[in-house]
Amino acid sequence: MIWYVIVFCFYIIFLIWANVKSLKTAESVDDYTTGGHRMGLLLGIGTTAATWVSVASVVGVPGYLYSSGVAAVIGWVAGWCFGGALIPIVAYKIRRPEKPARTFPEYIRHRFEPFQKKSTLQAIVGILMFIGYLLLVNIQVTGFGIVFSSITGIDYKLAIFGFLLFILITSVGGFWSVAATDTLNTILITVGVLLASGVIWSLTGGLGNIVETLATTTAPTIEGGPPLEEGILLSPLGTFGLGALFSIFISNSLGTPSSPHWVTRMLAPKNVKVAILQIMGTILVLIFIMGPLIIIGLGAKVLIPSIPAGKTTDYIIPLVIQEYTPPIVGGITLVAICAAAISTANSMLLHCATSLYYDVYLNISSKRISDRKFKNWLRLSILGIAAVAVVLAINPPWFLAMGFVYIYGGFGAAFFLVVILGLYWKRMNRAGAYAGITIGAVVYVVAKAMGFTVPFVIAVAASLIGVLIAVYSTKKAPLEAYEPYFKAEISDSTRRVLNDVRNSSHEESQDRSKIG
Amino acid sequence: MVIAMMTWVGTMIFSFLLGTFLCYKVEKSGVKRWGATGKLFKYK
Repeated sequence: MIWYVIVFCFYIIFLIWANVKSLKTAESVDDYTTGGHRMGLLLGIGTTAATWVSVASVVGVPGYLYSSGVAAVIGWVAGWCFGGALIPIVAYKIRRPEKPARTFPEYIRHRFEPFQKKSTLQAIVGILMFIGYLLLVNIQVTGFGIVFSSITGIDYKLAIFGFLLFILITSVGGFWSVAATDTLNTILITVGVLLASGVIWSLTGGLGNIVETLATTTAPTIEGGPPLEEGILLSPLGTFGLGALFSIFISNSLGTPSSPHWVTRMLAPKNVKVAILQIMGTILVLIFIMGPLIIIGLGAKVLIPSIPAGKTTDYIIPLVIQEYTPPIVGGITLVAICAAAISTANSMLLHCATSLYYDVYLNISSKRISDRKFKNWLRLSILGIAAVAVVLAINPPWFLAMGFVYIYGGFGAAFFLVVILGLYWKRMNRAGAYAGITIGAVVYVVAKAMGFTVPFVIAVAASLIGVLIAVYSTKKAPLEAYEPYFKAEISDSTRRVLNDVRNSSHEESQDRSKIG
Repeated sequence: MVIAMMTWVGTMIFSFLLGTFLCYKVEKSGVKRWGATGKLFKYK
């Protein structure tokens, strides 16, 4: 227990230091939302990797590897990796403007409603983001609560309210605080999962023994449950079936490049090339995180053939840590899992609060406020939303990794076409954006509720038909809407329109010299 | 198991190829503001 306390104390001290530093650094709205569009490569890789590796990866994916076998590698690990590979396609265009949008909904406004005083589209996207990120923060809180309470014995409810403090410490400083703490979190996560996988590797006798067990075991996932079919854990389809696995892969992959937090992340780097290299570097770093997680998830089946009745597969990591790892490794792994939850939750909390306050409230009310007021109100929003996410986590509604699939699928269904066509098709216009977002979101929810195996594919197909009809039955997009994403030099009218959009909600402070 | 791992490796290779191609496009554009430096993976 003493090791857990020592490691945690160091961790908390760093979080507070990073936040205080960030509070001094972040002065403008740009600083607060996207780090002033001047993020360097190393910090960019640190923050991207940490945001990528959430509690759904560290806790949920080993859980699915344990219950469904290697198919989870295709569904989640390869699915997210393929989605990540597509992010540079977005980065290549969206980071082109000299003064890019500050938020994802603001990009939607730039691209589709540049002349509107109050953008309904920006508000709709802001509301959809708010709902999605509230649920994603909720997943992080739940994951943290499960792990922390299982390992330390502290009550689950107490643990999740404790987590509130962690995410508030790292979120109130804005983007720079999130980025700085994320970089440390990436190191902690990597060290934690490498150590834990080393212990599992040694205890199981290596990969040969793990594969041999997976090939022959019929032990049920949960004690008292139905026995597994022999060899199913090594089958590429696992316990999912082709349709379900394809749906998981496609939701995780195509949902990723159009998820608002990844689009916003591509607005933070100092230029297009840094944004592209940032993703390539992150995918390299992830080998050292996902590889060990695969060993942990599959190796756990050798050590613990069945999970005790009454627990879900999300408990497999806490069970392994509790029963098989030395205290120091357990302590570091626990901090690594907390770091994964915190680093994703703080980033998503920032997006959630920004979308609600900046893209919905300030946009609709047309209020003009100072940078200082913006930051204070945003901090209050973060506090309120974090509290709601924690209260919702008292009775967790879903499995961690699958919750991510649903929300990524929803984001992909609503935003995939709008993002990709908006960046690569000049003809894509306002009517197409309304049709794409509305049809995609509604059809995804309906298809999911009706129990279709591939709701994402159905929603995107319906959305594409709607977009094409809307685009070809209305006027072309104006030059001012698409020019910044297609040309290096823009016309005066486009420059004027972009400045009007940027200054519509707050009094922009003077440009500041480089920081960080 | 091999198929699952190869799927992951395949997505990583795709990522590096696509990223390299886009870096090449940035260089070909010659726009310094976008990050063109004269060398494919050099950045400022």
